[in-house]
Parts: sequence; C-alpha cells; structure tokens
Amino acid sequence: MNELSRAHIRDLMSQVLANQGRVLPDDDAADLREIGFRSLDFSELALRVEDATGEELNFDAPGLRRIATVGDVLDFLESLQRQ
Amino acid sequence: MSDTPLVPPSSVVLVSGGSRGLGLAIVTDLLDAGVKVAAFARTVTPELAKLADTYPDRVHVGTVDVTDLSAAQAFLRAAEERLGPVDGLVNNAAVGQDSMHTHTSTADIARIVETNLTAPLQLTRLVVRRMLGGGRRGRIVNITSICAQRGFPGLVAYSATKGGMDAATRSLARELGGRVLVNAVAPGFFASEMSAVLGSTQLDQIVRRTPTGHLTEPAEVVPVVRMLLREHTNINGQVIVVDGAASV
Repeated sequence: MNELSRAHIRDLMSQVLANQGRVLPDDDAADLREIGFRSLDFSELALRVEDATGEELNFDAPGLRRIATVGDVLDFLESLQRQ
Repeated sequence: MSDTPLVPPSSVVLVSGGSRGLGLAIVTDLLDAGVKVAAFARTVTPELAKLADTYPDRVHVGTVDVTDLSAAQAFLRAAEERLGPVDGLVNNAAVGQDSMHTHTSTADIARIVETNLTAPLQLTRLVVRRMLGGGRRGRIVNITSICAQRGFPGLVAYSATKGGMDAATRSLARELGGRVLVNAVAPGFFASEMSAVLGSTQLDQIVRRTPTGHLTEPAEVVPVVRMLLREHTNINGQVIVVDGAASV
C-alpha cells in the first residue's frame, strides 16, 4: 500500500481547513472543536488520503469519537493506513 | 360484522435473535404467558439455554445464523415437530451499525442488508408458506426501529433496512388478507446494546427530548409484542413506536 507520511496527511488536513477559510495550527495538541474541524471534515480528509493512496479507509464511529486533537487525527489516519 | 374469522392468539411462536437483549426478553415474556417458543440465534447464550432447561416441553432453541436459509428452514421443521405448528413469528434478529456511510465498507453494507432485510423477508416467506399450506392463521411481528422514521448519523444502512421492514409490514398485511396479522414494533434507542453505538452527547440529547425522560427499556417493548401476538385488537399493517414520544 502507498502509505502517506504524517507530514503529507497534515498538509491535506491543512487544505481541508483552508477551503473553509481556516488555518491549521502547528501544535498537534490543538483542540479540534476550537479550530472547527468536524466529523465531516475528518471524512473529507480521509477521502483525500484514499485518493492519494488508492486504498479505501473504512472505520467505525467509536474510534472517530475519541479523536479530540490534531495529533489524534494524524495518529488515527496513520494507524488506519497500516490496517 | 364480516364472516372472516378472527386470527387466534399465537400459541407457538418463532423468535429470531432470541438469545439476548430484546429477543431474550420477548422469549421470556412469551414463556411466562404460557406460549410455546422456538428461538434461534447465532449463539445460544446461557440465559437462553437456561430457559430451555426450565421449560423443556415448551421451548426449542438452536444455533442458527438468520442469513443461513437452509439452517433456518431445518430449525423451523424441527421446532414444529417438537412444539407443533408455528403460528407466530417475531423477526428480531438484526445487526447494528456505527459508521458513516462513506466509510462503511461495501461488504458491511451488504451484510447489514442481508441480515436485517433479506433474511427476515426469507424467514417470513418460509413461515407464511407453512401457515398457509397448513390452512392455519397466524401473526407476525417485525422488530424495526425509530431509525426507520427519523434520521440518525452513523446508521444509514441500518435505517434503510428497518424502513424496508416497515414497508414490507404494510404490504404483507394487505397481501395476506387478514389471514395473517402483520405488524411492526419500532423501539426507540435502548439504554444498552444498540445505544452503545451512539455517543454520550447523542444519548443525552435523546433523553432530553424524550417527554417520559428515559430511554426505552426492553421490558417496555415486550408487552406490545405480546399484545400483537396474543390479543384481539384488529391492529394490522401498523408500526407501533415505543419511544416515550421522543420522535413526536
């Protein structure tokens, strides 16, 4: 599988937010609620990762609900790619 | 009054997914009411096995995956040999969902549709064929969900299957011409089991919006199922929502 690096995923996340006129903070501890990154934004990001890797990323909601920070998003997508 | 005879109370009821949760509560309640019960599930839990031990003459249990049509057919025949002709069916077996539609695998969507929609339609066909072929009348209760009528994120395929069963309930009631009464019971979210798939924020929101102030419990659903199987009410082709008016 063509796995994206953490930096590449971060760049895609930045693009998702930039499309909505928002900026992705540098700090991985930044709270997603504070930067307005919602579940549908996560979905968009996951689909962008899929586009880049050519592999579907399917997952259940409980894992998604545990995500609270930018770092959590990157961790989750990194681990999804390895499944 | 027409000459059409009333459909008698069901005396031998087949319950799919009867090993835990609402299914087990339905089995227990029907046994308490003196009904004979044939119950199957993917796994026979100790609770269901205990009921079989307690009521050896009135219970037939087995390990059957509801999507395995030939196994379901064999179970039905064995149950009828032991308990007598089945004149009641509760389509309860179902799988849940907790994933956004875009990120649910195609295999999972197919599995949810097969288990929650195709399988109960097939099981209903089997049971109705035996009822009609044997010249009997009967009753069917489909356990659906409030998801069939209201939207909830993460439950797209699940909702579609439950909506499908609600629709099938109405058409079957018309098709079977009063010889078999067909109804659905649509519980709101239970505090346990299916509700485990909702976040605490979502659950709190539902409780706040529920006039009765609490989520539905299986014990609140079983009397409705029993009524549809046992009482003379002329209810047919209906979906009865049990959710404390959360969806009203």
